[in-house]
Amino acid sequence: MATAIGQELVALLPRLRRFALVLCRSQPLADDLVQGACERALAKADSWTPGTRFDAWMFRILRNHWIDHLRRMRTEGMMEDVESQTQLIGDPGEEPIMSKLALAEVQRAIDSLPQEQREVLALVCGEDLTYREAAEVLNVPVGTVMSRLARARKRLVEMTAAA
Amino acid sequence: MSELHLTDEILMAFADGELDEPVAAAVARVMALDPAVSRKIVEFQQSRRLTRSVFASNLAPDVPTELRAAVAAQIEVYETANKAGKRPEPAEISRIWPGRLHPIRVALAASLAAVAVASGYFIGRQSEPAAGRLAHLEDPFVLKELSRLEAGREVELPVGRLRVISTYRLPNESLCREFRLQSASATVGAVACRTDGWKVTFALAEPAKGPEYVPSSGSDLVDAYLSNLGAGTPLRDEAEAKALSELGR
Repeated sequence: MATAIGQELVALLPRLRRFALVLCRSQPLADDLVQGACERALAKADSWTPGTRFDAWMFRILRNHWIDHLRRMRTEGMMEDVESQTQLIGDPGEEPIMSKLALAEVQRAIDSLPQEQREVLALVCGEDLTYREAAEVLNVPVGTVMSRLARARKRLVEMTAAA
Repeated sequence: MSELHLTDEILMAFADGELDEPVAAAVARVMALDPAVSRKIVEFQQSRRLTRSVFASNLAPDVPTELRAAVAAQIEVYETANKAGKRPEPAEISRIWPGRLHPIRVALAASLAAVAVASGYFIGRQSEPAAGRLAHLEDPFVLKELSRLEAGREVELPVGRLRVISTYRLPNESLCREFRLQSASATVGAVACRTDGWKVTFALAEPAKGPEYVPSSGSDLVDAYLSNLGAGTPLRDEAEAKALSELGR
């Protein structure tokens, strides 16, 4: 009998959409990716070990799904298309500490980072994964996670300090 | 100055609480003495806070109804199948997004796939004889590269540009690879599986495109075909390398 992951999957949907958007920067495509990743997860629910982080397991499936999608669709036109999609910024009402303006500033700085830095930043600082958990999601050594993350954050500080 | 070489990575790990105790204590000592070090640590804490705020603001609690419904339907299919103790049929799961994989196309792909497994099937959109272009796919150069090129890479061959997309292990243990062969006249997406040698089992041709990008529906059909074979998730990195290295034996 496969592990029932349905409830956890539904609860995780908002965060899966958020991470998918970091990867592909297009909301319709992000939603499509999330749906595809859910399907894969359900098909291999047995490979998730209860007691380990379900979110990290799902982020890995989602990211692998994105890579497969890229491999299939790799056409220069497509990539430019995706890159030029506008990023949706949610309602910042729930974070009273920062002004909408400041948030938009940081968002722009994050958007300008290379993909490999953006995704590690999202996993560690956005989703609170440990370095090791992020390394497993991204399938890279912990040292790579640390160097990409440090570069991303130094750059963020530089860009937001200049403003 | 301390003898400890404090890289940015170590200071960041300290700020994130990721350092083991002896190292963390050493960093804390240096931090107390060296304002430049403590400023860096504060900056790492700050960048984390900023990022967290942006991500919190990006968390839209309202998942679109269509997505929620589609995922709920998938869960239903799998959980019903689990209760009955069987594997759900891939064709039962359909995507609902307009302009993407339409349920009718899934059904079509499923029936095509059944033919494809038996004989090697070719779906063409031009009048050129299918058999001729299928031979093109089984060119010795292509077959040779299928045994060694890792997924995601491409190579220029006399018959066109070959890109291997992914590698799968079927439930019956045979190895299959999805690839794309692009020539001047057409782009063909195909799947080859290996028994004694490589055999192309599925191919989908599209006429060569102009510079403008036209979204391809072909990948959906290949996807449906693979799912029909029970291909599961692709082999990655070492798993793929191992599978390829075993081919030579």
